Amino acid sequence: MNLSMLGFFKYGNFLLQNFQWLLARVGIIYQPPHLDILLPVGISFYTFHSLSYTLDIYRGVLQPTKSLRDFILAVSFFPQLVAGPIVRAGDFLPQLLHPPRLKNGQFLWGLALMTLGLFQKIVLADTLLSGSADRVFGYAGPLVALDSWAGVLAFAGQIFFDFAGYSLCAIGAALTLGFHLKDNFRFPYAAIGFSDFWRRWHISLSTFLRDYLYIPLGGNQVRPFRAALNLVIVMFLGGLWHGAAWTFVVWGLLHGSYLVVERIFRVSFEHKPWASTLPIRVLAWFATYAAVCVAWVFFRASDFTMASRILGGMFGRHPHGDAILSTRELLQIGTVTAGLITMHWAMRDNTFETAVMRLPPWTIAAIGSAMICAIIVTQGSSNAFIYFQF
Amino acid sequence: MPSSISSFKERLRLPRLFFRKPSREEQIHGGPPLEFERPIPPAPWSGIAIAVTIVVIVATAAWELYCRSLGYGPTLNDNEDLWTMKRRIVEPESIVVIGDSRAWFDVDLDEFQKGFGKRPIQLAMAGSTVLPALADLAEDKNFRGTVICSVVPHLFFAPPGSPPMDRAEKGVKRFHNQTPAQRVSQYLGMPLEEHVAFLKPDDLSLEGLLNQLPIPNRPGALVPPRFPPYFQTEDRERRARMWEKCAEPGSELAKRIQQIWIPLFTPPPPPSYIPKDVFFAQMNEGIKKRFADVTAAVEKIRSRGGKIVFVRFPNTGGLKELEDRITPRERTWDPLLKMTGAPGIYYSDFPDLSGFNCPEWSHLSADDSVEFSKRLVPHLRDALNM
Repeated sequence: MNLSMLGFFKYGNFLLQNFQWLLARVGIIYQPPHLDILLPVGISFYTFHSLSYTLDIYRGVLQPTKSLRDFILAVSFFPQLVAGPIVRAGDFLPQLLHPPRLKNGQFLWGLALMTLGLFQKIVLADTLLSGSADRVFGYAGPLVALDSWAGVLAFAGQIFFDFAGYSLCAIGAALTLGFHLKDNFRFPYAAIGFSDFWRRWHISLSTFLRDYLYIPLGGNQVRPFRAALNLVIVMFLGGLWHGAAWTFVVWGLLHGSYLVVERIFRVSFEHKPWASTLPIRVLAWFATYAAVCVAWVFFRASDFTMASRILGGMFGRHPHGDAILSTRELLQIGTVTAGLITMHWAMRDNTFETAVMRLPPWTIAAIGSAMICAIIVTQGSSNAFIYFQF
Repeated sequence: MPSSISSFKERLRLPRLFFRKPSREEQIHGGPPLEFERPIPPAPWSGIAIAVTIVVIVATAAWELYCRSLGYGPTLNDNEDLWTMKRRIVEPESIVVIGDSRAWFDVDLDEFQKGFGKRPIQLAMAGSTVLPALADLAEDKNFRGTVICSVVPHLFFAPPGSPPMDRAEKGVKRFHNQTPAQRVSQYLGMPLEEHVAFLKPDDLSLEGLLNQLPIPNRPGALVPPRFPPYFQTEDRERRARMWEKCAEPGSELAKRIQQIWIPLFTPPPPPSYIPKDVFFAQMNEGIKKRFADVTAAVEKIRSRGGKIVFVRFPNTGGLKELEDRITPRERTWDPLLKMTGAPGIYYSDFPDLSGFNCPEWSHLSADDSVEFSKRLVPHLRDALNM
């Protein structure tokens, strides 16, 4: 029922278009009625919220709540309603058993997380990166390698700061109200390998897919070919969840195939002594980051023509293509990307909370002041969060 | 469980996990054994909050004072929401000014009110092409008023997808789709903009400041030309007035803006990925289509009893030379009047409208705009048979 609602609203036109295309291949001209469907805001998220409730009760790991109010609040809690994180009923409902109480410092820590989230969104994503990414992905001609890579790196940074920023705002807003949401990102651009990446990127989605799809399909407790197929199926559906377009499907399939290749490597080389040496780890990190960036091309591109143009530029197929980014934009992208990766490496095995605990109070105050001043000077425009569309 | 359901599950190969009996700890809604709680880092949060508040207030005040010392003053910023506010008050018989920044700077609403007995509504938009606003008025079945339409050919014929077209379409779209949040945001933002000088997104935002860094670009890089810095104030009626610092004869600011207009009005080279002959053929087709679309819109407005007049506002110096060369009157203005059959006023055809000096070559100073508007009104009345 939940999924059929999502199917109708989000995938109705997509399915009809593909059905029309298939019929045209066998010579049947069919003109489907255009469904002028208005996509309800956050439908993907509250579908998954309610799905987790239903499935957990079905599995017996959660007792049905007797309170309609609690159920509605769990499914539509406003901070995470429109763009996640996906909060499972099992994580949220127990918090409603007693009226929320704020611990000492909880309200201000919540505000601090919201400030960091807004800084990531307004200053880093929207001001320093999104303009360059939009220009590269909106350019109709061939681009030289430098501009193509710069545009893709800019988008890689933009989507992280945009979505991680929103997640922090949601977590912070919930904290100020006395509710606790789990982390949705854990420094993903320091991931070594793709399974590591998915343990750090959009954690609420990847764990949802793992627990409700991958493990029920058999997970890795089946024969190798079936386990690989399971990974591809899960990532295919994960891609499709992001949007009704084949570009998202290819993005998901790419990640599925990355995971399969990683598994093959792991089985073959995991126990070799050189496999855990520093150069190999750095090489594996670099390969992971580069491959994730290549996949982002399909996520951002509106069609395959655009995607192939950008990929062509990245891999040197347009040596005489155009250069469209200013030196200032290139420096901006380089600086922010280097800072992002350095920060993720520094925090790789850490959490925000432990990092903040180690800082002297004046440093926390200085960082907080700098972020708020930067937000004020930025005079943010009104760019919506990318994940609002999902 | 009925056997039919059981076999259904088997056939579907429903996950084994679903059938595992959960441990007592996993049955979480009955109690909180697995309840998740975020750690709160121990720190003197109240003291930190007070320190941050003080630092931010002091830094913001210092930034405001610094911006004022540079000559910036509080004024409204032009945006789609302010445009929408004015578009909403258009009535069936309104006098509406549309077009580009020349109509925005050079029309004085007080003088027009004196001349027409009715206050016009300013809907001209800087750096925009006129078609979206004109077509929108044409589609508005209630509208049968008077349209005063500025023509700067370089902007008038801007192709779809270009910044002038995007800007104009954004305004019209916002008028039709404005959300309550955007509306409230505009009402809340206006008093702030009227009192805070540093709220200048083009000049004093982080992006604006980064844009001003003098970093040379790669040779051949197709980087968009820079836009002029802040040089006008705007009120709630969207009346733009040139900043006095720019209007001073021979001012540095005016000279800087003059040098920005030249690359901004110079057509970019054809894109490398389209053969030149194909590109120029597409451009010609685009211009023909623009004539046709404008003509259709004009006819619609006139068919309901509305009136329209095209106006070419003054330009001077190197910009006039450039415009006359790349968009000569015979290829732009004359065919426009001929195809639409609408009256037009080209400032240089009338001695009393000629001779005005545009300090930065494109717009009149605030004082001159009053005098120019006073002199323009009788010509408009003649052209419109009013």
